[in-house]
Amino acid sequence: MQEAIVKIKDAVVEGRHKEIDAFVREATADGIPPSAIMNDGLIAAMDEVGKRFEAGEIFVPEMLVSALTMKRGLYVMKPLLTVGGDASSATILMATVKGDLHDIGKNIVVMMLEGANFRVIDLGVDVNVARVVESVAELKPDILGLSALLTTTMPEMKNVIETLKTKGLRDSVRVMIGGAPVDDTFAERIGADGYGKDAVAAVRLARRLLKH
Amino acid sequence: MKSTPYNLFMSALFGGRKGPRPPCGNPTSIACLELMKACGALFPEAHLNPRAMADLALAGHEIAGFDTVMPEFSVHQESAALGCEIEWGSPERMPDAKNAPHADFSTVAVPENILEKPSFRVVLDAISLLRKQVGGQVAIIGKVMGPWTLSYHMAGTQNFLLQVGLGETEKVTRMLRQLMPVTIAFANAQLQAGADAVVLADHATGNLVGPYHYRDILLPIHQEITSAIGGPVILHVCGNCLDRLELFADSGVDAYHFEWQVDAKTAVERIGTRVSLIGNVNNPRTLLQGTPEDVYHQARYAIEAGVNIIAPECAIPLTTPLANLKAIAAACRDGY
Repeated sequence: MQEAIVKIKDAVVEGRHKEIDAFVREATADGIPPSAIMNDGLIAAMDEVGKRFEAGEIFVPEMLVSALTMKRGLYVMKPLLTVGGDASSATILMATVKGDLHDIGKNIVVMMLEGANFRVIDLGVDVNVARVVESVAELKPDILGLSALLTTTMPEMKNVIETLKTKGLRDSVRVMIGGAPVDDTFAERIGADGYGKDAVAAVRLARRLLKH
Repeated sequence: MKSTPYNLFMSALFGGRKGPRPPCGNPTSIACLELMKACGALFPEAHLNPRAMADLALAGHEIAGFDTVMPEFSVHQESAALGCEIEWGSPERMPDAKNAPHADFSTVAVPENILEKPSFRVVLDAISLLRKQVGGQVAIIGKVMGPWTLSYHMAGTQNFLLQVGLGETEKVTRMLRQLMPVTIAFANAQLQAGADAVVLADHATGNLVGPYHYRDILLPIHQEITSAIGGPVILHVCGNCLDRLELFADSGVDAYHFEWQVDAKTAVERIGTRVSLIGNVNNPRTLLQGTPEDVYHQARYAIEAGVNIIAPECAIPLTTPLANLKAIAAACRDGY
């Protein structure tokens, strides 16, 4: 792999956010195609961050700094990507359900999905069923990701899926869920397409759901 | 020894003589909808009114059969007194903070009369009421948030953790040290009001932050806190903390309240001679979704592993069936 790409990847993995701008500019000046910077640099780096997180080598503070570094890299890349037509692969709509104000878990999932080159639209926290369903109708995402940290708000996920069915939208979107109180049994019970136990699993799940 | 709930709990808290059965305790909330309805003290009143707070705590002993009473059902008593806007919730919903007033890491001005703030006063008054009613018979547990948790409330969880990740140690430590006196003052006030022990809940949670964060940043602060609190201290940190059990034992606490993700036998083997262990019945899968038999079996596993005090792993979901909660006490009644 070219040295400039290795520098980008290492900077993201190690969270050297102040250096990433220069590294990305350097790589583009060297004529490295944006797709290579994205895939072999930024995306590969976030995959590595995910692996280290899963292995318990790093934790959320380091992950947040890597995500910040990746975002800065992406920001420099953006104009180049539009010109090159190197569009992101799929759209994912994310929300923490009604009654639940927790956003850190969802935010980390959003960052990891962005790091994996998905286009992510984040509706935020405490989002009611109507707004989720309207957004699915309007934005036509490939995947809808729902998060809940409270056992009291878990049932809202079911309400979203039921309403999508009523409105005839359920077949238009894959639904994935996550959050501390839910698990794969719950996902199956409410008719979701999958459950991700953490941000890394969510990226893996999103990739898998899009293959089908 | 006399086998009253108080004696069984206090002896187990210090790893002392065993009575005829292990005690069951609740360092964190066991308030659930059924328990609230059974005693007529509901959220949000039970967060705001000392009589309702004491009644709901007492229901944990009188109805659910626990050997302790713990009257603090939220994690927001301190943050309310420090300027967070708190939505106190409903019987179906736990309180939550609407804002993080020091997201810019600005100086937190701790009010001089913080112990008189309504969210502190209510807990102190509830503890005094409990002391008058069941003092010496049932163990009364107080609870305070540690400075790490309070920093989440003051600066926002993600923002605080980002600063930790960025290596802004000075900024992070300054925030923690500003908040540490609140933890100490509230704990000592609860002991003086009649608590037999206090829980220090500080969410340097497993999987969220690393053991090295705890060791380098928070452990020295915990050591100062435990030496400044004039009574027994139970540490509560959620998550899979297998990678930091010994560090917790180094913090100067008398007991550690742990989650199911840490195997009870492993916990006992690793730190059981240094601190007492309290736990570790699984909340979401067993207490909330399981049967009383499932709960009973898990509690028995913890007893047989040598866990000193049997308890849910953390504050229980509000829709937990009361029958499941009672199954913990039933497992304890069946002795060692």
